[in-house]
Order: sequence, then structure tokens, then C-alpha cells
Amino acid sequence: MKQTTLSVVLEVQPQSADNLSALIGELRHREDKPPPGSSEQYGRLKNGVPVLHFMSLSVFPSADYDPIFVIEANFDGPAGVFWGQLEATLGIELRAMLRCCKKPADQDGPLYLAVTSPDSRVPLAPYLEARTLRPSVFHHGTRGMDRDRILREGELFLATRRVLTQSSPTLANPYRAMTAEQIHANLRAALQPDFPWLDIPAPIRISRIERAGDLARLIIFLFLLLACLSIPGAVIAFISPWQRFLVIFAVLGCVVAFALYLMRAPLEGLGAPSRSGGLTASSLSRRNKLTSLAHPATLAIAVMVLLALYIAVASAIGTALAVLFTGLPVETLWCPTIRVVALGLVSVFLFTIPALVFWLRRLERRDASHDAPPIDSDMMLKMGQREDRIAQNHMGSVVLVKPGVLRTLLFRTGHRGLGLVLRVVATDGYLGSMRTIHFAHWAFVNNGSRLMFFSNFDHSWESYLDDFIEKAHGGLTLAWGSCIGFPPTRFLVLDGASHGRKFKAWARHSMAVSRFWFAAYKDYTVDQIERHARIANGLRQIALTKKEADAWVRDL
Amino acid sequence: MPRDENILRQKAGGPMVWLMALAPLVFRLLRAVWPIPHFGKTFVVTRYDDVRAVFLDDRTYRVPYREKLDVIMGGQPFFLGMDDTADYRRDTGAMRQVVLRSDVPTLLAPDVERLAQDAVDKGNGQLEVVDSLVRHVTFKVFGKYFGITDPPGEDLRVWATRLFEFQFADAGNDPALRSEVDHIAPALCAHVLALIEARLQSGMFGDDVLGRCLTMQAKGEIGFSDDQIRTALIGFMVGGPPQPPMVLPQALEQLLRRPDALAQAQQAARDGDDALLAGFVFEAMRFDPLAPALPRVATQKSVIAVGTRHMTTIPSGANVYAAFSSAMMDERRIPSPLQFNPRRQPHEYIHFGHGLHTCFGIHMNQALLPLMLKPLLKRSGLRRAPGRPGHLSKSGAFSNAINVLYD
Repeated sequence: MKQTTLSVVLEVQPQSADNLSALIGELRHREDKPPPGSSEQYGRLKNGVPVLHFMSLSVFPSADYDPIFVIEANFDGPAGVFWGQLEATLGIELRAMLRCCKKPADQDGPLYLAVTSPDSRVPLAPYLEARTLRPSVFHHGTRGMDRDRILREGELFLATRRVLTQSSPTLANPYRAMTAEQIHANLRAALQPDFPWLDIPAPIRISRIERAGDLARLIIFLFLLLACLSIPGAVIAFISPWQRFLVIFAVLGCVVAFALYLMRAPLEGLGAPSRSGGLTASSLSRRNKLTSLAHPATLAIAVMVLLALYIAVASAIGTALAVLFTGLPVETLWCPTIRVVALGLVSVFLFTIPALVFWLRRLERRDASHDAPPIDSDMMLKMGQREDRIAQNHMGSVVLVKPGVLRTLLFRTGHRGLGLVLRVVATDGYLGSMRTIHFAHWAFVNNGSRLMFFSNFDHSWESYLDDFIEKAHGGLTLAWGSCIGFPPTRFLVLDGASHGRKFKAWARHSMAVSRFWFAAYKDYTVDQIERHARIANGLRQIALTKKEADAWVRDL
Repeated sequence: MPRDENILRQKAGGPMVWLMALAPLVFRLLRAVWPIPHFGKTFVVTRYDDVRAVFLDDRTYRVPYREKLDVIMGGQPFFLGMDDTADYRRDTGAMRQVVLRSDVPTLLAPDVERLAQDAVDKGNGQLEVVDSLVRHVTFKVFGKYFGITDPPGEDLRVWATRLFEFQFADAGNDPALRSEVDHIAPALCAHVLALIEARLQSGMFGDDVLGRCLTMQAKGEIGFSDDQIRTALIGFMVGGPPQPPMVLPQALEQLLRRPDALAQAQQAARDGDDALLAGFVFEAMRFDPLAPALPRVATQKSVIAVGTRHMTTIPSGANVYAAFSSAMMDERRIPSPLQFNPRRQPHEYIHFGHGLHTCFGIHMNQALLPLMLKPLLKRSGLRRAPGRPGHLSKSGAFSNAINVLYD
């Protein structure tokens, strides 16, 4: 089952912000303390919206903008079904909240008025659908696992504990004397009657079509990126002989490279102690699997193939366009087009990328960072009251984006690329060496002038950020580095989040209280869910080989 | 089992039945390319959101039943034809004092199960479901519950079904049917008034709905004049009992088309899991509901699907058909609509209307419809009778017959 992450961001009428916060608070109170006879906390949402994994309602105040109301949702399947279920469950409450928001200035204005007019009964779902914001980057830690499966396999895990437990303290536990295969066979026989779905093969988490689509999107992105970056070189290649072209670009490249070399070090006092997590050359090792891109030979071959593919495809498209515009035969245009494409590609690495990095580095050296962002103690107290109550936590933050053409282009492109890479690479819940995020996403709001981040993660906020600072600050710096006040960065991915204390203070400063937060399986970490899945997958098998059983039994 | 051939006017089959069979495909196309088709001043609303919006906006989209109700009720207003007025609230409020939700488990459900069980036992391994099971049980149970007996020398099933057809399934205003109605309606009014008079004369009101109404009348409660009681009881008998024989056989037909679902529904029936059994029955009904659409009339110029790409302006006086059958198949809101799933969310069903004119007896229907099929589903070897009799035949909007065999 494909999971979906999205958010709805609505501007709030300033005079209604307190009322909106109060309405969200009332909803939280009602769900926290359900009336007598109700089955469980948040049971209404859990039962009424069976596709929902995590959801939050937040209000972000700002000194620069009117407050925004954000509905963050992570669920199974298509958005339309989710909105329908949410409206059926929380329609009355949501309509009251929408009445605290501003009428959109665009084409959704009439729909807003229809939905929020006094006594309106117009369905909310179309409006929420119309105002849906797609994330720029997102990560799913339990990818391909629908909520029912997570809950079902969690119940199965608890049942295995009960079966494996020896109720009498005076008798030996029979399972201790069994081999792994016998444990598997006995457990399966004991559990199958209560869990008949063990006879059905596990649903495929990521289908081949989905995987191929993710890969195709990444390749197309890289293709377009190369094409755009090669435009300056390709234009000059039209009018310049190739020998002259190479000399000019080699000289320009050397000049820029030398300038970059001089600027490579951090400014005094702004360096970070650690190197970039996961992005250093030392990550490449011949000890890695030959099938992994972390093996230098594999990476080199992959890059060569990609570049060759680019030249072939770009030349074919270029030739076709040239034939269309000039009317000359293909044989005449084919060779010059290949030459232009190839030289354009050379220019990307000789000059365009170094020149852009040089421009960026100049900006980075002049950037101001927020060393001691003010933190509202009252807000901190409220955040603290809501954190560490269950195995998971939630954070939401909104920050301003640095202005400028280069920043905007790099930031948007970086987000797009990071998002696509994550879909291809992060298929087993791991981000680098961490597996603590259930659902997280970034999205641009207010016409791209602000960046919003939401995460539903395991363990405490401190440990969550510490993990990232230690192990994945490169990606974090890429995703957040172009935001105002972010700790000083180098070359887009270096330093930045490595400034641990500064980064944490900056992140706290940008956060808002999670006024309403729903987690469908509050006791399970991502690791635990994966463990449940491995146990369930083992029990779905009628028999395991000795090797399989030995590996499987370690999860019990 | 012999059945009374006079209950339905039309013969089985015909072009209308074929057209109705095509409705799901047509609606699917319309939802995708022309969600609110219109022909002159007739509009059809096909998407889930828009159907709900029409049902919920009862001030703009009024029910068009009043004119024919006046014919049936002799001019006495019945709340089915009313807007959301003080009279509507008074009349529905009055009836909710005598048609109690608590009657369902205590009075109605046991009777339904017992009579359905009797019919299945009596069938001795073969049964015509429309008449011998569903219509028989429905009219027996509700006739007793409301306190309405067969008119002397007449069949209440025929009268109620004729009046139902006239009210809800006679878009062409058939003169032959009108002629029958002109005879039946006053006769039924007179019959019910006679029943009221007889009870008043006897002084023994009893604990059926009629008796409770007379008790309330004796207490001086408003909404319980003789005419109001008579109108409400006729409304209940005409609007209610003719429906289960239409829709339950359709549900059974859908189950018979899906052997896995049928087997699971039978298991639920045997396990006594009435909630799950209801899930199977209402899910089966989703694939062939009571009707494709319910009519409304626009009281003013209005806009449906405002702010969307298929926004449509509806002129005052337009006929608007809210296609609830299409809404229940709308993939924009209903998860995997083509998949048979007996565990759907309640909001995914619009079997009993929505908004002001949601079926008055919705709680009865939700509980009793599955129970009418329960004894049959409990039987092992449930299967179609050989040949055409084993498949549901229809007469216009009505189910005509479906024969099944069982061990």
C-alpha cells in the first residue's frame, strides 16, 4: 500500500488565532479524555479514519506573517478517501476551525465562502483537497506498510510473547529446549487459528512498478539538471571550435577552482568540528557490496553509463529539434549535435558547477546566522508538556527562506533532488544509519518564502536531533541550509547542522506547539514495526530452513 | 412456493430493466467526464460530495413528493413532503414518541427472525425470496407493529405497493396507475380511520403504534389528531414495507454472484454476528441499491460544486436527481469502490438518504434487513435454483422473483 504525506496550510485571521488554538485544544481534550463508554483515547479518529497513521493540527505564529493553521496528515492510499473519512469524523470541528482562517485570494475563495458561511453544509473535503500542499521532500520509515498491517503484526507479536511465556515459574519453558525450526513450527501452529491471515502471503511493500517509477523520476531529474547546467557551454560550443572551447573552459575552470580553493576553509570561528555525515569520500569503499553505489567501481561505471546515456538521449532530442527547425537531413545534423551536447556536458563539470559553487560560497561567507535565537519560555513549557508521553514524538517548524536567485534555484533543486534520492535509497526505513522516523516532510509555504518541516519520530526530541547532527547533518544542511538564521554552512552541505547547539537552538526557535497530535500505534517504534514484520513474515512461511530459522528466531 | 401475481403491476423484464443494468457503467463515465449532466431543466448529480451537498441543502433542493402525497393522504400533509418547518418538526417529533428505537430489539427483531425462519423452514429446501420470504415477513411484522390490518376483502401488500409505485416510481404518471390509486387511496384512508374508530370504541388501545398514538391523543399531546394519526400510519405503510422486497433480493443476487462473500456472510449468520452480517448485506446493496437516484426540486437559483472545475449553476425549478448509487461508487471518496468490503465506514453508505429526509425508519432498516435474510443464509448449500428462476428478475423498479435452493 502506497502511503501519502501531505499538509494543508491556511492563513489565519489574526483576531481568530486564539479562538482557533482554543478549538484545537478542545478537540485534543475531548480525544484525550473520551466520554464514558468510548473505547480508547483518540478512538473516534482511530476508528473513523482507518487509513490514518499520524496527524497533527498546529498554529504557527510569526512576527513576519499572520499565523498559519496547518493540518499535517500521513495516511494510506489516495488523498480523496482520507479527506472523506476525516470529514465524516471531524467535520464539525474542522468547519469551525476553517471559519477562523482567511478567505484565499485565489480561485479557492468561493469554495471557502461556501464551506464557511453560516449554517453551511457544503462538504469540506473538496476545499481541503484544493488547499493541499505536496511536500518538497518526504520520508516514510515504514514504507509500504499500511496501518492495518502494522497493528495486525503488532498484535501477532504480543501473541508470540504470550505463547513463549511459561506461566508456571516452577516448570522449565519448553521453548528453551527446542531448535529454531521447532520454535517456528510450534509458534505457527499455536498462532495460526487466531491469525488466519498467516496463510496469506505478505503484501508487497514496494511494487516493481513503484520502484521503477521512483528510479525513472530520479533519472529524468538528473537528465534535466544536466541539460540545464550545460546550456551555457552548449551555446558557446555552437560558435567555437572544440579545441578552442576546451582551452577556454579549462582556463576558466582553473581560475574558478583556484578561487574556490582559497575560499574552502570556514571563516574563523565558524567551522564545525565534524565532517559531513554520509557525504565524505571515505564513504566509498571497495569493501562495500559490488551492487552498491558506495563501491567506487560501481559508482564510476554508473556515472559513466548515465553520462553516456545523457549524451545519446540529449543528442537524439537535439537532432530531432534541429531537423524540425532547419529542415536539414539527420545525417548532416547528427554529428554537430553530439559535439555540442558533449562539449556542453564537459562545460558543466569544468566550469558551470564550479562557478555556481563559487557564487554560493561567496554568499555563504556573507550570510548571517542566528547564534542565539530567542525561545519563548511559555512555548517551551507547553512543548515540554506534550513531549515524551509515548514512544514517539512530534515536531513542526516553520522558517524563513533566504532570498536571491541562486539560493532559490539551488534550494528548490536540492529539495527536488533530495526527495527523489530518498525515494530510491531510503526503502527500508533507514536514513543513513538511523531508523527513527515514521513520517517526515518538508514543504514550501507562503509562495516559497518559508519552509515548513514536520516529523513523527521515535524517542526524545533531543536524541532525534542528536542522531541527525551526528550521522546525517549533510542531508539536513542541504534541506535547511538556505533558511534564514541557519548555522553557517559551507558548500551547501558542510558544517551547518554540525553546529549542534546552535542548530538545536535554531530548530527550537522555529517550532510551534503540537496542539493536536494523533499517532495510530503509539507504542511502536520503527525498529519495532520492522521486527514485527520480520516475525510475521517468518510465521507466514509453513517451514523455514535452519539458516532462515536461526536468523528469524533472533527477533523473538 | 406459490406467489401472488397481482402484487406487481408490470411484467418482468423490459427495456427499463436493461437500462437500469447499465446505470453503474454510465455513472462511472459521467463521474469522470461530466459529473453533473443536464438535459433541459433536469440535472443529475453523480459525485459523492455533490450528492451529499444536495441532500444536506434541503432549503434549496426540496423533496418533490407533496403533490402525490396529497392524492394519497387526501390533502392531509405528511412530513415526507414537508420542508424543515415547525410542522415538520412537530410531526416527526410526535411520531418519534410512538415509533421507538427500543422497539427494534424488543419487538421487531424477534418477530422478523421468527417469521423469516418459519418461511425458510416452510420452503423445505426451495424458496422464492421476494414474495414468500421478504414481502411476507415485512408486511406481517410491520402490519402488526403499526396496528394496520388488511382491509376487508383486500390485500394490504397490493395497496401499499401500488401507492408506493405511484409516489416514488411513476415518473411517467401512468394514467392506469392513477386510476387504481384514486380507488385505493381513499379506501385505505377510510380503512385506517375505521381502525382508529374501532380502537376508540373498544377503549383498548394496545401497545402497537396505533395504540400508542391513541394513548397520546387521549393525553392531549399535539400531533395526534385522528387525521394526523391516519396520515402517519398510511405514510409508514406506503413508504416502508414495499422497500425491503425490492432491495433485499437485489442484495441476495449480489451475494450469489460472489461465492466467497456469500460463504462469509453465511458464516456470520451462523455465528450470530449480526453486525458483520449487516456489513455483508449493506455492502451487497451498495452494488445494487434501492434506486439509482432520489429526486429534488431546486427552489432557487443555486450552484453545485462551487469552486470546483465542474461547478454547475442550477436554475430555479430545475429537477435535480441525487444519484446516491453513483455516490457510493465514487472512487474519489470511497476506498476501492469496486471491491466487496463488508467492513466499510458508515459514511460510505447512503442507502437511506441523507440530511433532513433521511429515512424515518433507518434504525429499523439497519437492524431488520439483515435479519430477514439471516435464517436463509444460515442454511447450508444455499444456491440459485436452476435456470432463469434462479436469477433475480425485475418488474420496473421492483424485484419480481428469485428462487433459491438450500439443504
